[in-house]
Amino acid sequence: MSADATFRGYRRGDGSVGTRNHLLVLSTTGLTGAAARRIGAILPGARVIAPPYGSGVVGDDGALRDRLMLAFARHPNVGAVLLLSGKPPEAEAYRDALAASGKPVELLVLDDHGQDSLRLTDVGVRAGARLLRTLSAQERTPASLADLRVAVECGRSDPSSGLAANPLVGRLCDRVVEAGGAAIAGETLEWFGAEHLLERRAADAAVGSAIREAVARRTRHAARSGIDLIGNNPGPTNIAGGLSTLEEKSLGAILKTGSSPIRGVLAHGAAPHGKGLWLMDQPFYAPESVSGLVASGANVLLFTTGPGNSYTSLLAPTVKLSANVETCGRLTEQIDFDASAILSGRATLAEMTALLTDCVLRTASGMLTFGEILSEGEEVLSRLGPSL
Amino acid sequence: MSTGFNAIRLADGDTVAHALTPLEAGTVAGMDGPDGPVSVVIREPIPIYHKFATVDLDAGTQVLKGGEVIGRTTAAVRAGCHVHTHNLASDRALSADEGGA
Repeated sequence: MSADATFRGYRRGDGSVGTRNHLLVLSTTGLTGAAARRIGAILPGARVIAPPYGSGVVGDDGALRDRLMLAFARHPNVGAVLLLSGKPPEAEAYRDALAASGKPVELLVLDDHGQDSLRLTDVGVRAGARLLRTLSAQERTPASLADLRVAVECGRSDPSSGLAANPLVGRLCDRVVEAGGAAIAGETLEWFGAEHLLERRAADAAVGSAIREAVARRTRHAARSGIDLIGNNPGPTNIAGGLSTLEEKSLGAILKTGSSPIRGVLAHGAAPHGKGLWLMDQPFYAPESVSGLVASGANVLLFTTGPGNSYTSLLAPTVKLSANVETCGRLTEQIDFDASAILSGRATLAEMTALLTDCVLRTASGMLTFGEILSEGEEVLSRLGPSL
Repeated sequence: MSTGFNAIRLADGDTVAHALTPLEAGTVAGMDGPDGPVSVVIREPIPIYHKFATVDLDAGTQVLKGGEVIGRTTAAVRAGCHVHTHNLASDRALSADEGGA
């Protein structure tokens, strides 16, 4: 075990610690998406989020959009925000909502530049360049495991996930939680078949009910949509890998949550009220799941896979793990942590937990994941209903 | 876990184990047990990480892995044979069909 379980991060005004110091180029309207992408292509340090949804997203759907967009802007890994918009009142409201974060937020409105997307690009590149220079002078300061907010995800699982990779991630979550940090797991439908094990760890009866109800709502939604959950899950990749039933897959999946008591069930994209282990009720598909977990303020993401899965977060460094020896030998520019020694018996779970903790701390301090190097990451919105 | 095992069983009461390497018919699968290593003779090819039965199972038997029920056999399965979607179904699906939850 590392004698010094610390990392170096960017301490933010709200007490959170960033493991990265991104310039976020956030486009809040379709009109400004192209300019945002051009700015991102020119400025090497920029991270672009430009969802194609805006006006006409109403009610709870609109509230979710606002929550996710502001959460991306407020994220501990974001050092500054370049906000692009073609809708001034909303843009000003976002800018004002972000003022308390203490980080530089510059708003550029298309209407101020004669509806000229090229002029907006020019102004945006210059503003972004100045922000990047400021960000590059900021320094990391000491931080500890308690400052980690770890999100966990699995994608393209096979039996090696449940046999080794997920238990390993679970041990890492336990370490972070014991040290005073937070861990968050989502993908509600992946609890189906294993709810009883999660309910046993619920901090109180209300949390137990919330877990059961979250699964029931999703399974009802599937039934109403004519989806045979059990007939479609495990999917073809899972089956080819050796997973036979939904229960088997879910029992393996929940192992990544470790053994800590479950403090609560969060709404998709919501932040936890404090340290400990939290579940998030959300879609299971990686793009939506990852963005919801990241919106909660997760500053690092652990993502297990069996045969391989290249999807990552844009804002949070995503450590890809597999315990499948063939995968680790083949995907040498995708898998960040090879956990296959657990199954070959060359290392114990305890030894690998120490190695993974070290890897996570070094990643938190700036060591890049393959997903970051290869720009695999995205953040996406989730929708609840039809637009106007 | 010691080195040298080519299979793994999660809990002592489990009726399936996973191959840690592709296993050919006739191979002896070795895994840890509470009273020392346990062996099962493999009767048909088992792909890496797939399951095989550690004991003979009748049709309609609940299958245990890690102490939890992962499904029910839909056919009789002999020890050392491949356990997968062709002879194992979700116990939840089958329970639902029988009018359960």
